Amino acid sequence: MKSRADSEEDQTPALFSERPEWSDVVTVPQYETDTPIAPILYSPEYQDASDYFRAIVKSQEHSERVLDLTEHLIRLNPAHYTAWQYRYETLLALSSPFETELELMNELAVKYLKTYQVWHHRRLLITHLRTPQPELKFIERCLQVDSKNYHTWSYRQWLLSHFVDNEDLWRDELDFVENAIGDDVRNNSAWHHRHFVVFGCGVRPGDEDRARVARRELTFTKQTISLAPNNLSAWNYLRGVLDTMKLPYSLLTQFVKPYTVPLDPKRIDIVDLENPPPPPGAQLPCVHAIEMLADIHEQAGDKDNILQAVELWKSLANEHDTMRVKYWEHRIRDALNSR
Amino acid sequence: MVLIIQIKRLVADILSILRQFLWARFAKLGPPLLPSSEETSENSSSRRKMDEIQLPPFNRSGHAAHARRCMSALPRSQIELDASRLALAFYNLGILDLLGDLNDVTAPPQWQKDGWINWLWAQQTHGKYGSGFRPSPFMTLHPLESNLEYSDYDAPHLIMTYTALLALAILRDDFSKLDRSGLITFLRACQREDGSFMTTPKDGENDLRTLYCAFAISAMLDDWSGVDVERAKAFIASCRTYEGGYGQAPFCEAQGTRFQPKSEPFQCLRLITLSSAPRLLTGGTTYIAVASLYLAPSSTGSGPLTAIEKAQTVRWLVNNQTAVKDGEATLGGFAGRTGKPADSCYCFWCGAALKILKYDGLIETKPLALFLARCQFKFGGISKFEGEHPDPYHTYLSMAALSMYPPSPLLAEEKPESWKFPVLDPLLNARVETAEWAKKNISGKGQ
Repeated sequence: MKSRADSEEDQTPALFSERPEWSDVVTVPQYETDTPIAPILYSPEYQDASDYFRAIVKSQEHSERVLDLTEHLIRLNPAHYTAWQYRYETLLALSSPFETELELMNELAVKYLKTYQVWHHRRLLITHLRTPQPELKFIERCLQVDSKNYHTWSYRQWLLSHFVDNEDLWRDELDFVENAIGDDVRNNSAWHHRHFVVFGCGVRPGDEDRARVARRELTFTKQTISLAPNNLSAWNYLRGVLDTMKLPYSLLTQFVKPYTVPLDPKRIDIVDLENPPPPPGAQLPCVHAIEMLADIHEQAGDKDNILQAVELWKSLANEHDTMRVKYWEHRIRDALNSR
Repeated sequence: MVLIIQIKRLVADILSILRQFLWARFAKLGPPLLPSSEETSENSSSRRKMDEIQLPPFNRSGHAAHARRCMSALPRSQIELDASRLALAFYNLGILDLLGDLNDVTAPPQWQKDGWINWLWAQQTHGKYGSGFRPSPFMTLHPLESNLEYSDYDAPHLIMTYTALLALAILRDDFSKLDRSGLITFLRACQREDGSFMTTPKDGENDLRTLYCAFAISAMLDDWSGVDVERAKAFIASCRTYEGGYGQAPFCEAQGTRFQPKSEPFQCLRLITLSSAPRLLTGGTTYIAVASLYLAPSSTGSGPLTAIEKAQTVRWLVNNQTAVKDGEATLGGFAGRTGKPADSCYCFWCGAALKILKYDGLIETKPLALFLARCQFKFGGISKFEGEHPDPYHTYLSMAALSMYPPSPLLAEEKPESWKFPVLDPLLNARVETAEWAKKNISGKGQ
């Protein structure tokens, strides 16, 4: 990790103990027992900054130079949650412009994308500033760096739910998530976000007709599956739509069947938007489709259907998904016993 | 825009067909219609060969040495652990506990154990929000023996408190120094209106991990007066996702773990190699949710999950075991989220959740052990996957997974006993003897 002294201000001494404007501070050392567990062999920069930070916290100073010190410390250890906490309190005490702070965060967030504190701090700032709109672009930039980053997606969901009545903020969200899935159909975070947008946070204007929304979601998901059938994220979403809307799995029978058998090279495609067929060259049969078809049969519940489900589970156990042989055997036992 | 996406998809499709064709032609992997390696279809002859795949010995002494090195000192590249040192202590002691290295002839001398116990108790701190443990003395403003009240910036930390109690139980401390009523006050100070818990009373991260710690502490105390169980359960329910797993907070994707930053390459102490800052207790949010629900005292006659919920969660968990073919071997580690690669720590998080739900019989132990065998670093320690640097977090959780899912002794030609571990308590995440000691001595009721 590069300290700020390395990268920006070569003329500023690296250590606070060498800076005349800090000479009034009596440092507080780190106290330890004689037998510490996992002591860290600190760098001189970190030890110096920590000594001064403890002193500042002890004297309860909230001044401009505290912002310098905490930024320095955070760059050396972005997981230093007390430095973040004290920095935020100092910003409040000084009525420091949050816009400037947000600019600094734009740099730090990308640098420390996987640090909780970076995102927590940002939430505090945006809660005060109430400027969610530019955040969408910022989040897109972060997702370009790491398209599955958990914090980034959580932040977007927080933003949208925190400003749930902001129609401008929400307007293009479905397009955004459609693009994200288009970029990578296996990005489960994007699928999860779609469920949040469509079902997780109230009903958006224009989406009041829930039956139409369900049809739209099923069509979208089936189309995506028809491009890349062996994609568990899409199949899970398909189940999620049906479960959420309390619709029977049998709605999918016609769509699922062609995915459960080897590809017929001589087949002639009929354009059927509701039941898009597997693509040429697809790796079939698809495990997730067989599982789905078995679940359809199990839901039907009568003896013939259960036996058909059992045959499908057997094919998964013995041939198509041998890693989960014990799971499929469990499903067979379970279905036969509950009859 | 839609047109561009469609063109993109078409190009991707054509490329994938081409790739399959080339593979089939040149790698002699058979026709492209066969499922790919990730879908793990294999015929019986290759399965027969798989049975011949042998496990290498489990490098017990190397992993113990890794834990002991990390106990003695960490290089400056690990500065990010400053605010979570106690969790690291727990993982290191947990490694030694599972290896049986704290009681046998190679055990550290008692004076060393007493030194560790001293350091752990020195982190217990008291003040206006009650008592608990801090991560390390990194923000302590007064000498440790001064016994002054903590400031708002050195308050106890909920995750560190859970790990401290287990670390002390591993060292068989008698907990006579534990401030039990202060601990109850502290738990109350951390719970929020929505039922979740903050890491520290004033501020801090709040997600399912902290809730689990509050529940585990209450279970060890055998006293639930510090938490509002029903509100906490409602928070857990709000984190459930359509996939059947749990996210860290309402609306969040179901997952295993929370990732923390990767550290820079080491500049000194080359022997200690950690891949990344160990997560503060971490994740496996689905484990965390399930374990919390099963730790909680039941208020009604019904189980913590409905039959449908349980079936959906089990399905999500078993689907996370991902098969990767490597020559004749099938490696079967667990992923933390749908569509992600396997990582050794999820072998624990997913495996332990299945164990709690009593579906541990559904797991194939051989591919799991073969995956974990590959994660062993040659100088000791286990990494998240092959080729990464090890750390105590992945080392401990891999061993904890093996204690629940031991491979058949027939699999290892050489030193099959090296793969044997004591039984684990999946709810508290410690070996059974340690969990029993914790419950007896932390509650103070068994003394």
